[in-house]
Amino acid sequence: MKKTILSLAMVLAAGVLFAQKKTTTSAVINFDATTPIDALPKAENKTVIASLDTKSGTVAFEAAIKSFTFSNPKIQEHFNNKGWMDSDQFATATFKGSITNLKSVKFNKDGTYPVDITGDLTMHGITKTIDAKGFITVRGKLIVANSEFTVKLEDYKVNGGAIAAGKVSKEPTIKVVAEFN
Amino acid sequence: MKRYKKWLIGLGILLLAGAAVIYYLFTLKYDDTATVKADYTVDAINFIKEFKQDMAAANKKYSEKIIVVNGTVSAIEMADTTANIKMIDTTNGAYIIFAFQQQHLGEAKTIKEGEQVSIKGSCSNGAFSSILEAEYITFKRCAVNK
Repeated sequence: MKKTILSLAMVLAAGVLFAQKKTTTSAVINFDATTPIDALPKAENKTVIASLDTKSGTVAFEAAIKSFTFSNPKIQEHFNNKGWMDSDQFATATFKGSITNLKSVKFNKDGTYPVDITGDLTMHGITKTIDAKGFITVRGKLIVANSEFTVKLEDYKVNGGAIAAGKVSKEPTIKVVAEFN
Repeated sequence: MKRYKKWLIGLGILLLAGAAVIYYLFTLKYDDTATVKADYTVDAINFIKEFKQDMAAANKKYSEKIIVVNGTVSAIEMADTTANIKMIDTTNGAYIIFAFQQQHLGEAKTIKEGEQVSIKGSCSNGAFSSILEAEYITFKRCAVNK
């Protein structure tokens, strides 16, 4: 009986230790839509939910649009209103995709591995497939995933007056960093 | 000539006023949350319950409002540029997460798990996470409420 309980406990412990789906609720996304004539439209969201499955290579994130913090309250207001992200109606941006070269990442060996990611990015109620480059860094039990890519705002029907006036970049840079312990 | 001068002075005043308004808008900053009066003071678990009961109504009531949340710290998530504090309803996994204002980041790093705290911040909104299969409420520009 004791042996059975011990075996069961070991199996459960192994399951926890080597869980393949890792999650965090403190991933960070930086959004940079600055232009030569306006340095204000850039923001940071530090409470992004992200997941990484080290076996299947699936990656995902969910970001609340209202959690993007700008330094300037007016820009934040514009970002959330109907002309931009319309965050009352489209409250989150999501990404669901996978690492296509997963075999080149050794999760049991420290190092930095370049990765190719493809998946569906949904924002402003519109879903588009995107491809992005990134890196997975393994340091002991810590796995850090990061990626940087651009999006065309017109693909997501985000086209406020400030974009046409050149104050907001038509193709902002999105930088995602997620640390999984 | 006098009339011409008057027009020039008027135009100058208009330009100056316009420049002042543009300068004001471009240099506008958020106030330190610690000094801002709160719209609501709530208990963390009851707050989560309110969102779980009616997410749309709770978002309408609390989104972008300054709120003081009293509760027990369940987790501290340290990352490169951030230290987020979480209060979790352990009965269902729903949680509140607080991202701190830059000048108050040091306060977040001193908080311990299990500690009773009072945090003031701007409530972004509540939503359901399909990754975690739980409700969550995010706060930004937070400070320890003293």
